[in-house]
Amino acid sequence: MSGYFEYVEKLFKSGEKRDPPLKGIKVLEMTHYVYGPTVGAVLARFGAEVVKVEPMGEGDRYRAAAMWMRMFKKANLNYIALNANKYVITLDARNAKAREILFKLASKADVFIENMRAGLLDALGLGYAHLSKVNPRVIYVSCSGYGQYGPLSKAPSFDVSAQGIIGLAMKTGWPDVDEFYKVPDYFGDYFPAMVAVATVLAALYYRERTGRGQYIDATQAESLFRFFYDVTYLSLTGEEIGKTGNVDPLAIASGIFPTSDGKFVAIAIMDERQLSALSKAMNADLMGPYKGRLRTKECMSELNELISRWASSKTLDEIMSCAKAYGFPAAPVLTDLDVYKDPWRWERGSTIEFDDRMYGKVHMPNLPIHMSATPPKVRWLGRPVGYHDRLVLKKWLGYTDEEIKRLEEEGIIGYWDQAPGMCPPDAWDIDNDPVFRGEKDECE
Amino acid sequence: MSASKRDELLAKLFSPEGKPSALEGIKVVELSISNLVGSMVGALLRELGAEVVRVEPPDGDPSREVSPYGVKVKGLGIPYLIENAGKKILRLDLEREEDREELRKLLVSCDVIIDALKPGYLDSMNLGYRSISSENPRVIYLAISPYGHFSKKAEEMSNVPDSDLTAQAYNGYPSLIGNPSIRPVPLRAGIWAAWAMAAICAVTGILVALYERLKSGKGQFIDVATHEALAAVHIYPIIAGFLFERSRPQYGFLDYLLYPFGIFKTKDGYVTVATPFDTDFRAFLKLIKRWDLEPDWKYAVDRVTDDVDRIVELDREIRKELMKYSTQELIRKSSSRGFLPEALRRLVGRPVIVKSYTLREAIGEKHWYVRQSILKVKVDGKEMLVPNSPFRMSETPGRMPVEKIFAQEFLTKEALAAMTSRRGEESVRTS
Repeated sequence: MSGYFEYVEKLFKSGEKRDPPLKGIKVLEMTHYVYGPTVGAVLARFGAEVVKVEPMGEGDRYRAAAMWMRMFKKANLNYIALNANKYVITLDARNAKAREILFKLASKADVFIENMRAGLLDALGLGYAHLSKVNPRVIYVSCSGYGQYGPLSKAPSFDVSAQGIIGLAMKTGWPDVDEFYKVPDYFGDYFPAMVAVATVLAALYYRERTGRGQYIDATQAESLFRFFYDVTYLSLTGEEIGKTGNVDPLAIASGIFPTSDGKFVAIAIMDERQLSALSKAMNADLMGPYKGRLRTKECMSELNELISRWASSKTLDEIMSCAKAYGFPAAPVLTDLDVYKDPWRWERGSTIEFDDRMYGKVHMPNLPIHMSATPPKVRWLGRPVGYHDRLVLKKWLGYTDEEIKRLEEEGIIGYWDQAPGMCPPDAWDIDNDPVFRGEKDECE
Repeated sequence: MSASKRDELLAKLFSPEGKPSALEGIKVVELSISNLVGSMVGALLRELGAEVVRVEPPDGDPSREVSPYGVKVKGLGIPYLIENAGKKILRLDLEREEDREELRKLLVSCDVIIDALKPGYLDSMNLGYRSISSENPRVIYLAISPYGHFSKKAEEMSNVPDSDLTAQAYNGYPSLIGNPSIRPVPLRAGIWAAWAMAAICAVTGILVALYERLKSGKGQFIDVATHEALAAVHIYPIIAGFLFERSRPQYGFLDYLLYPFGIFKTKDGYVTVATPFDTDFRAFLKLIKRWDLEPDWKYAVDRVTDDVDRIVELDREIRKELMKYSTQELIRKSSSRGFLPEALRRLVGRPVIVKSYTLREAIGEKHWYVRQSILKVKVDGKEMLVPNSPFRMSETPGRMPVEKIFAQEFLTKEALAAMTSRRGEESVRTS
């Protein structure tokens, strides 16, 4: 029907908007790097009140990991974009008094997230067993490489280590080149984190209906296994698929092909209907000669060869016109800059310009989950180490200025080291910042 | 508490026996023909206990053919088996008026609709969100497609079907992977990364909407584009564009935030190495006896720069050195200090070196079976391995319905009538 896309656009741009869906949900996280923080980040975009605990001084060490070490107004954009909408506080879990405060905060939390070494928080008296006794409604999420129990639970894990241990690290590369590449950009953190977010949401839904909290043992490995069909294939055939370059072995034909205008096009033919569409576009019979042997390795390489030859005689635009006219999967291969500048992303609001109180205008992605009535929102960016100490102690625990001052003097709470990634921007008048002083909330 | 005691308690806590599911009573209708990403969304909801009906054409869904090199079990491809196990199938010919009427009844009585068909197709038959939501305002409508259901491009590209490879390409993934000094060509990630990310984003949106509906009583429209999700979740492509006004070059063998952080060859295999901090890197140099490199590469700023040629120099030395050791030697050396308190670890550092398993080695680890991360299904005298649900929850564990993996269950007219006579969620007692 004509007007469908306009109708949906209107629904998203000016349809009914309701309160943030997770308004009133309190989250406490003891997290670092990417895996744990991403869980809280998504909840915060949907309106949860998320407090992130860091060590004083340098904070979460991800603060220092800027792309090519380039800072933006003394901040690491990776960190402040990921930790948007969060309240950042400092408490050193090794200190008994700080642990007491942590426990008080955790007792008030609906959701508790941690990605420390398996068992560490248990040892500190902050495990699920301890917390659920005083807060039985809590949804407690431990994020780890391989799980909280089992023989591998103590093995160290970063994105790439988890990819290595489940055999995923040996999947990306050229069959004839003795090099392996990881799935890039910490997929082994971000994907499992999104799985953990979904798990928390399912637990919240269940709790809303039954009043019961629970423990979630989120793992990188099990999340990455989930859509790794090679496991099942190996058990059935006795063969490892291994690296296949740009060929998707699940497709009838596929690849990334050079075009006549010096660009690249990705084409993947998943089923016979699409193969027939491509046949028409190429004006060639890709069906008849391959009847009965589609999806064999030989057939794949013959078809890929034909497609490659065809693609090299066409411009990228010509191929995309064919894809639209006949209906087969094809796409240009974008670069970072293409992705960043793509007007489509700006139009949809998945790339946004956000004007932050502290950092000014920043271009960043919003969550690519477009919701007509309760869209995810960025409200403020990540803040310097300990920036919300005073605000959170007042708001969550009702501490007075005097009590807070004492905690500062005793070194129970603290602030940033004077180093990039941890401290405020140079020109920032921190002493007269009402949010830092705990007199005003971020969005009032 | 001893470590083994803790293990035992946790194994008991997470035992799935006799426990309920989080989404019991939620009714999902999945329209995902010739497009497995929609089935992946429905599959994850199924694991959480939702009842999923998938609509297929009279001669079945062509996706059942999609499988690595076409391998099939009982006529079905691997993704079809795993993603559609435990769903009920309703075969409809949407070109026929009466079949469309059946579908309408189903759609107005369900909680969640997954629309992975061509954008606008359902609406063209008056079965889209605007029609269904006016009758069923509680409906949560999830659309998943390459370019979405709104924007100029979404309309322009609506006839282009979806695939993981094209979604990877449009998210900029292949421009990051590989080694241009060997082959300056974009390279795909060897797993359905773009589809997996889009599917989990879709599930997240649905769960947010379900939770919100408990308060507002209303549903909504959720739009996920597979050609958009991956790069947005990853953040970095947009940060790179904003900060540097240029793209990161294709250096999949290195990294952009850390070095070393990748896969390296040893004398007898491969390891992954991560040195998140300068102290870890220095400990690593000592371990491979290359302290001579320390003065030049001491700080992260030395090792992580857009001057790739420079890092390649260091990378060459490191790779050469690691080839002198066996995998076991490296792992032993890196963990020889045993447990280090965090404060001390930060001071003395320790590289994280882990064996990079072949898949055969990986699935041989006892760990996955202790935890039931991987399930075994008997078929034709063989043992088929199936990944379990990643939703590890103590009260409402996610479940991969392996017992139903070959039971293609078709929905009878009677069952359909019973199903459409009640609303989904209301049929479940709430407390």
